[in-house]
Amino acid sequence: MSSIPASAFLALALILFCIGLYGALTKRNTVIVLISIELMLNAVNINLVTFSKYGAAPSIDGQVFALFAMAVAAAEAAVGLAILMALYQRKKTVHIDEMDEMKQ
Amino acid sequence: MTFTGEFLAFMILALVAIIGGVLLLNLNKVVHMVVALIFTFISIAGIYVLLSAEFVAAVQILIYSGAITIIMLFGIMLTRPYDESEEKGSRWRKAFLFLGVVGFGFAVYIGIYNFPIDQVPTTLHENNPMQIGKAIYSKYLIPFEFISVLLLVALIGAIIMAKREEKGAEEE
Amino acid sequence: MMENAWLIPLFPLVSFVILLLFGKRLKEAGAYVGILMTLASLVFSILVLFERFSEPSYIQKFEWLKIGDVSLTAGFEVNQLNALMLFIVSLVSFLVHTYSKGYMHGDGRFPVFYAYLGLFTFAMLGLVISPNLLQTYMFWELVGLGSFLLIGFYFYKEEAKAAAKKAFIMTRIGDVGLFIGMILLFWKTGSFEYSEIFSAVEAGGISQTMITLTAILIFIGAVGKSGQFPLHTWLPDAMEGPTPVSALIHAATMVAAGVYLVATMFPLFAASKTALLTVATIGAFTAIFAASIGLVQTDIKRVLAYSTVSQLGYMMLALGSAGYVAGVFHLMTHAFFKALLFLAAGSVIHAVHTQNIEEMGGLWKKLKWTAPLFLIGTLAISGVPLLSGFFSKDEILVAAWEGGHPILFVLALIAAFMTAFYMFRLFFMVFTGEARGNQNHVHESPGSMTLPMLVLGVLAIISGYVNTPWFGSFLGDWLVDGNEKLGHGHMEGPIWIMIAATVVSLAGIYLAWLIYGKRSVSRNWLSGSGDTLHTILYNKYYVDEFYQMTVVAVTKGISYFLRFIDVFLVGGIVKGVVGFVQGLGATGSKLQNGQVQTYAAVAFVGLAILTVIFALTGGYLQ
Repeated sequence: MSSIPASAFLALALILFCIGLYGALTKRNTVIVLISIELMLNAVNINLVTFSKYGAAPSIDGQVFALFAMAVAAAEAAVGLAILMALYQRKKTVHIDEMDEMKQ
Repeated sequence: MTFTGEFLAFMILALVAIIGGVLLLNLNKVVHMVVALIFTFISIAGIYVLLSAEFVAAVQILIYSGAITIIMLFGIMLTRPYDESEEKGSRWRKAFLFLGVVGFGFAVYIGIYNFPIDQVPTTLHENNPMQIGKAIYSKYLIPFEFISVLLLVALIGAIIMAKREEKGAEEE
Repeated sequence: MMENAWLIPLFPLVSFVILLLFGKRLKEAGAYVGILMTLASLVFSILVLFERFSEPSYIQKFEWLKIGDVSLTAGFEVNQLNALMLFIVSLVSFLVHTYSKGYMHGDGRFPVFYAYLGLFTFAMLGLVISPNLLQTYMFWELVGLGSFLLIGFYFYKEEAKAAAKKAFIMTRIGDVGLFIGMILLFWKTGSFEYSEIFSAVEAGGISQTMITLTAILIFIGAVGKSGQFPLHTWLPDAMEGPTPVSALIHAATMVAAGVYLVATMFPLFAASKTALLTVATIGAFTAIFAASIGLVQTDIKRVLAYSTVSQLGYMMLALGSAGYVAGVFHLMTHAFFKALLFLAAGSVIHAVHTQNIEEMGGLWKKLKWTAPLFLIGTLAISGVPLLSGFFSKDEILVAAWEGGHPILFVLALIAAFMTAFYMFRLFFMVFTGEARGNQNHVHESPGSMTLPMLVLGVLAIISGYVNTPWFGSFLGDWLVDGNEKLGHGHMEGPIWIMIAATVVSLAGIYLAWLIYGKRSVSRNWLSGSGDTLHTILYNKYYVDEFYQMTVVAVTKGISYFLRFIDVFLVGGIVKGVVGFVQGLGATGSKLQNGQVQTYAAVAFVGLAILTVIFALTGGYLQ
C-alpha cells in the first residue's frame, strides 16, 4: 500500500493545471501558450493515472487513456505549430495580442 | 502519514514539477521557459513511476521531454527574429486572471481535499508494459487504430498547411 | 319600419367610412355621399316617426356580455322622445350636409370635413336610440370625439386648436359626473336598462339620498354637454369651428344631448325634489347669465353661442320645473330656429368675410334671401307671437310658474326680454343702417346654402303649432302617452303669462330698435351708469379668467411639481440606467477585440466565478 494519499497527486495535478491555465491566458508568445496547453494536458494525465491506481475499481484503463491523450497531444502540437508557422509567415509576428483576425 | 522513501520521492518530484511550472511563468527568455518545462515533464514521468505506470512514464519522457519540446524549440528558433521580451500585457488583466485562477484552484481543491476513496491493492506494477499491451491490442484495438489515423492526418495536415502558406507568402 | 330603426345611425357611419377610404379620390363629390346617406337617414327617421304615431314603442336588444348574474345588453329603442330626436337630428344633419357643400367649397380638406360630419351624425343618432345607459354613455363619448374633431377642423389656427381642447376637457369634466352616476345606478339597481332603473326607483328600492345624488351626477354630465353655467365656457369658444358645425353641434344635436339625457332620465329626476330644483335653478341662472353676456358681444357667432347657452338654460328650467313636454318642445323648436340662425349667420360671414358685427350693417338689400330668413329666426327666438319660439317659450314659462318657483319665473321672464333685445340688436346691426365695413364683394350665397335655410325657416314658423294652447297639444299628449310619470301633455296656465311673455319680448325688440335701428337712444345708454357693467359683461363675467386663476393655476402648480419629479427623479433613474447600460456596452465592445486569448480569459473568469459559487454553497443555491 502506498503511503501517499490520492489527494496529494490530485493536488499536484491541480497546481500544474492552474499554472498551465494562467500561462495560456497571459503569455504573449504563441509558442509558450502552446506549451502551457501541453502542461494542462499533462496535469490531466496525472489525474488519469492516479485514478487508474487509486480509483474505486483500479485497472489499466486509466494508463491506456493517458497514452491516448499523449498521442492526441502530440498531434495537436504538430498541427498547432504548423498553424503558428503559417501565421508567422503571413503576419511576421508570434505575439498573440497582434492576431485579431476574428475582429475583421 | 509516515515519512517513507516513497513520500520523499513524491515531495521532491512534486517540488521540481511546480518549480518548473513557476519558472515557465516567470522566466524572461522563451528558450529558458521551454527548458524549465523539461524539468516539469521529467518530474511528471517520475510521478507516473510512483503511480505504478512505468510504461506511461517512459512514453512521457520520450514524447514530452523529447519530441514536443524539440518541436517547440524549433518553432521558437524559426520565429526567433521577432521574439521580444514578454511583460507587455495589462497588469490589470493579469491580476484579474490570477485571482480567477486562484479562485478556481481553491474551488477544485475543496472538491478533492480529503477525497474519500478506499485504497484497493492493485497489480499494476507487475509487468506493466505487458498489461498495457494486452489492453491496447484487445480491448482498445479500434481506438488504437484511430489514433494512428489521427497521427497520420495531423502529419499530412501540418505539411500541407506549412507548404500552402509558403506559396501564399511567395505570391505576396 | 321601427324594427329597422337601427339602420338610421348606420347610414352616416357608412358615409364616414367611404369618405375616410376614398375621400381623396372623391374630392368635393364626397359631399353627395354624405348628403345621400343623411337623406336616407332622414327618410327612415320620418317613416319611423310617423309609424310611432300609431304604434307602441319598440325595443330590441340582445345580450352583449354576461358576467355572473348580470347581463349587459345592446340594442335600440324607439319611443316617442327617441323618434322625435331621430327626426330632429337627421333633419338638421341633412340640411347642414347640404349647406356645407356651398359653405366649405374650395376647402382643401373638404372630404375630411364630410367624414367628420358623418361620424358625428352617427354618434348622435346612435345616442338617441340607445336603450340603456351604458350604450348612451358610449355614444355620448363618441359625440364628444366628433365635436372635438369638428371644432378643431381648422387645426392650423391656434384658437381652433385651443377651443377644441377646451370643449373636450370641459365636457369631459361633466362626463366624469355622468360616469359616476351611471356606476352608482348600476350598483344600486344592477342594470343599465332605463326601464329597470325606473321601475327600481318607483318601487323604492333606492334611498332618496341616492336618487338625488345620482340624478345630480347625471345632471353634471348634461351640464358639461349642454354648456350650463359652471361648464359653459367651451361653447362660445367652440365657435372657432366652421359655421355649419356650429349649426349642427351647437344648435340641434350635441348641446341638445344634455337636455335629451335629462329628459330620458326624467323619471329618475322626478323622484327627487332636490334634483329637480337643482336642474331648474341651474337652468334659470344659466338662461339669464348667458343672455346678459350676449347683450354686448360683437362677434355674430358668439352672440348666437351665448343665446344657445341661454336657451339651453331655458330647457333645463322647464325640465327642472317638471315641464317635461315644455323642455322637449322647446328643444325641438330651438333646434330649428337656432340652426336657421347659425346657417344664416354663416351665410352672412360667407358674404362679408368677417364675424364682427361692427363691420357689417346695411346688408338687408344685398342678401335677399338670407336677411328675411334671419329675421324669421330672430322673431322666433324672441318669442314673437305666432312663431314657434313663442309657443314653446310660453310652455316653459307656464311650467316654471306652475312648478312653484316665482323667482325662477321672473328670471326666465327677464331672460326672455334680454333675448329679444340682443337678438334684434344683432339683426339691426347686421342688416340695417349704413355699411360700416368693406362690402364691395358682397353676394348672396349659392342655392345649396339658401335651400336648407328656407326649409328651416318654414319649420321655425310652423313647428310651434304641433303644441299650442289654441289648436290642441298634439305633441305633448303624444310625448307623455302611456307614461303618467312624465306629467301632463299640456299645462294650463293663467292667460296673463302669455301676455306677459309677449309684452317683454316686444319691449325688448322695441328697445333694440330704438337704440340700434332708429338710433334715437344713444348706444351708450345701457352703459351710461359707468363702463364697469359693460366691461364685466363684455368679458363674460370673467369666468374664463376665474378658471384660469383657480383651476388652471392649481393644475399648473401640480403639473410643475409632477414635471419636477419626472425630470429629476424619473429622468435621473432613467439616465442612470442608460448610463449604466452604455458603460456596459462600451466595455463589452472593448472586449470584442478579436483576440482569442481575451475571449478565453473572459470565459474562464466566468467559469471560475461559477465554480467558486458552487464550491462555497456546496452545490446548492438556497
